[in-house]
Amino acid sequence: MQTQPNFGSAAIPDAARDQWPYRPRFARVNGWRMHYIDEGAGDPVLLLHGNPTWGYLWRQVIPPLLAAGHRVIVPDQIGFGLSEKPTSEHAHTLDGHAANLVALVRQLDLTRLTVVCHDWGGPTGLAMALSNSTRIRALVIMSTWAWPMPPAEFHTRVFPWRTMHAPLVGPYLLGNHAALAGRGVYLSVVDRERFRREAQAVYEAVLPDPADRMLTWVWPRWIPLDASARAIERFAWLEQELARVSWPAQIIWGREDEVFDHATFAARFKALLPHAEGPHLVTGRHFLQEDSGVEIGGLIASFLERVKAQGT
Amino acid sequence: MTDVSIVTAHDLSNKRRALVLTEHRVGHYPEFRAFFAAAFDLDRVMLSVPAYVRAPSGMTYELVFIGRSGEPFPAGVEIFALPEALEPLDDAAVDRDLWAILGWMIDGVGPPWSRADLEATGRLYRIPAAR
Repeated sequence: MQTQPNFGSAAIPDAARDQWPYRPRFARVNGWRMHYIDEGAGDPVLLLHGNPTWGYLWRQVIPPLLAAGHRVIVPDQIGFGLSEKPTSEHAHTLDGHAANLVALVRQLDLTRLTVVCHDWGGPTGLAMALSNSTRIRALVIMSTWAWPMPPAEFHTRVFPWRTMHAPLVGPYLLGNHAALAGRGVYLSVVDRERFRREAQAVYEAVLPDPADRMLTWVWPRWIPLDASARAIERFAWLEQELARVSWPAQIIWGREDEVFDHATFAARFKALLPHAEGPHLVTGRHFLQEDSGVEIGGLIASFLERVKAQGT
Repeated sequence: MTDVSIVTAHDLSNKRRALVLTEHRVGHYPEFRAFFAAAFDLDRVMLSVPAYVRAPSGMTYELVFIGRSGEPFPAGVEIFALPEALEPLDDAAVDRDLWAILGWMIDGVGPPWSRADLEATGRLYRIPAAR
């Protein structure tokens, strides 16, 4: 039994229309209504956002990929953007969100697929890729993790991380006050003034009401901090399986990312995937697409050109 | 020091319950569940009656604890304001009250959680009630 659907915010914010000229599409995935865009033709590239963003995060990355002749698919993960937003915390699990992506990839019958993942797009997207390996052509990884606890020292701190999503505090701060969707992203970009001027209102507008923002405090609670964490086995599996893959891979990281710092996280992905290109460091904190979206799009496009030239 | 107090009973005549905050997973950090269990004697009381606290505005809030099969009790908690039946909420006052209730809760849970960290987190995210 699923919770009551909530389509209340399923409209593109006015502030985004000029920057997001794509036709909205919807698919029923794993019992939920998922919004996505599907543009261009060619081998597909799947761009996966995390918390608390939506497909709009990739708005500057998309044009260079389309110009390079790729089909670009950008879903809003369930609970974000224009997709359905479950109203019970118990509707959200790591495996469930991965299964949502599996459903989308199978419905669209995507093959020769490049998976580009960021933040929670990492654990969910990599789980989808590793469980559907015959469909995968390449991986691009940025500012995420795929191993058991804890992802960063930051996530073990009472201030601000654990306090922010503590019982009742999370629903108050991140729900009632939209702390992550607005100021949280603002604090995690380099050019904050530009972000405030051009993008902050768009991220806030797709999560207009406290109930819409549930996943913004639920995802932090899924980050493993000790051996009893709910997803600990899935993260162990991710690390184990990722170390076995030979798909072409690229690592892109924000030079100024102080949470998932590149010296720790990009380096660990490089150790898991020693054949991967990079890490390519670009201007950016955690939401590096906000500061270097066009450059990231170009990096991915040129990487896929080399993949194609190698006949992979 | 707290400006929130537990009250043992409340006259609900001509009042309505207005849901203002929901927590589905009060045991995400188990010490929070333990705090509520101890503060309201929930191991004995269980689901028989709700709990009440009085907040700085003078409004009484009802705490309804939620049980879930297979999980320790309480699994969740809903906080209801109790305004006059046909009167709208004073949103700003409710927000300040909720912040005070959170501070009272953090004080009760105790280390490593602290009111200072809560206030600092509130200031970081520009919460109006944070000091």
